[in-house]
Amino acid sequence: MQTIHVDHATKRFGSLEVLKQVDFRLEQGEFAAIVGPSGCGKSTVLRMIAGLDHPTEGTVSANQKPIEAPHPSRVLIFQEHALYPWRTVEKNVAFGLELAGMPKKECQNRVDALLKKVGLSGFQSYYPHQLSGGMRQRASIARALAMDPEVLLLDEPFGALDAITKITMQNELLRLWEGSGKTVLLITHDIDEAIYLADTIHVMSPRPGVIVETIRSEVPRPRNRNGADFVHLREKIMTHLDLAK
Amino acid sequence: MSQTSSSSSSSSASSPQVRPKAGSLWQKWLPYLAAVGSLLAIWQIAAFFLPAYLLPDVPDVFVRLFGSMNDAEFTDGIQSSLLRLAWGYPIACLFGAALGLIAGVSQAFAVYLRSLISILQAIPPITWVPFFVILLGFGNATIITVIVIASFFPMALSVLNATEGVNRTHLELARVLGANKLQLLTKVFAPESLPAFVTGAQVAFGNAWRSLIAAEMVGGAAIGLGYYSRWRGEVADMEGVLMSILVIGTIAAVLDLVLLEWLKRRLLRYRYVKTGGAE
Ligand SMILES: Nc1ncnc2c1ncn2[C@@H]1O[C@H](COP(=O)(O)OP(=O)(O)OP(=O)(O)O)[C@@H](O)[C@H]1O
Ligand SMILES: [Mg+2]
Repeated sequence: MQTIHVDHATKRFGSLEVLKQVDFRLEQGEFAAIVGPSGCGKSTVLRMIAGLDHPTEGTVSANQKPIEAPHPSRVLIFQEHALYPWRTVEKNVAFGLELAGMPKKECQNRVDALLKKVGLSGFQSYYPHQLSGGMRQRASIARALAMDPEVLLLDEPFGALDAITKITMQNELLRLWEGSGKTVLLITHDIDEAIYLADTIHVMSPRPGVIVETIRSEVPRPRNRNGADFVHLREKIMTHLDLAK
Repeated sequence: MSQTSSSSSSSSASSPQVRPKAGSLWQKWLPYLAAVGSLLAIWQIAAFFLPAYLLPDVPDVFVRLFGSMNDAEFTDGIQSSLLRLAWGYPIACLFGAALGLIAGVSQAFAVYLRSLISILQAIPPITWVPFFVILLGFGNATIITVIVIASFFPMALSVLNATEGVNRTHLELARVLGANKLQLLTKVFAPESLPAFVTGAQVAFGNAWRSLIAAEMVGGAAIGLGYYSRWRGEVADMEGVLMSILVIGTIAAVLDLVLLEWLKRRLLRYRYVKTGGAE
């Protein structure tokens, strides 16, 4: 298990300063979220934790060791679902296991169990273009879970879904996470989604991206989206984002 | 030879994945038949006005063609041309695809490959014939080498372009899931370049066939379709020349339509499944 520490990380692309002194910790087993407007550098933070990008200044570390490269214990689910169009659902889900050289039989059992878990039983042999948007996102969540990662990094996983599917998927994500002991970091620009799902919410402001506030939410689950404490939190976050009237 | 082509066409028509409706089949073939028909019609009309030794009638040439199926000199020629194609073309495809893939992961090699291709592209393939005749002698080795030179680069170029344009997220995803360099190559770059591979294979096939016939004609071999047609030309046997042209065109068209189409549907199967997943 690992604790992720983003330590005064600054990221520049050429002269463009995207992140400035971003500093936060991800504790083991917690469900955290980053909310912020589009373009504030949320994906960049996630990519650094995944090992796909590196901070220009500061460090991003897992258990005090700087993150140099991707590792299967930290799996990123991309903003766009990114299933391989030439692989069927089961082959997509099995991809990471295949890379690790897991025996076919074991792989098959694991994939079937996961597909059942995310509600895609019976779609094993479908290609991504034959699935709905929600099903694709389910498949890519299943693919990440197949790795049994310690840290799950989700980049606006439900951003492209309709409101109904979105709520269903949020509940399913909670169900998958609860009791799993996995650390989850969810990126979203949907404030309600962050409050509904996460225990720790980091609010980011744009250009350059800084964390303006970290909010710990103690609202008991299942959370009522119209409950008083929920509404209160929403207002608080909106104030930090300069969105309150 | 007519046997091989007809058997390959019937086997692909009876394979379960490629079974278009009768209407669409007709729609697909009608323009093709029209094209062939109009060419033959132009020929026949011209033949009405010209003496037979300059331009023989269409039926006469077909009669001669069927007669020549017993002529060993002609059928051996077809056989050796096809044999050379069967060696040269796949070698060129594999070689070209491998180079293109490697160029996809090595920037320096990509630059090198592009320069190499632009040089080779500037030299007409048959200019290599005298060179290789001296080096390797007349016959198969020379012709096959020329085929490979002529047809590896469309494939290399096509695959190279595809690997350079490979979806970045697809690559990063594989890295996140633990892929090493070799796995990136085989599990992302290669399948992602398959459509380009198919396009490359189609262009390469045209190059291979044309350079094969040309190389045989300019004297790379003393047997083969190209050689036969030149020889018939030298003795002013117009029927023989036209018959060779017919066969050369037909073989290329049949291989292109049947074999390459089959290859495409087989390699890009995921694009053609419409309902209910793969079988
Ligand atoms: N590879 C790159 N090169 C140059 N600039 C980049 C690169 N990646 C991201 N950026 C810039 O960094 C900024 C933040 O990008 P990022 O993708 O992290 O935003 P985001 O918060 O995830 O936005 P969204 O909510 O729209 O996904 C953008 O202005 C973008 O132009
Ligand atoms: Mg983003």
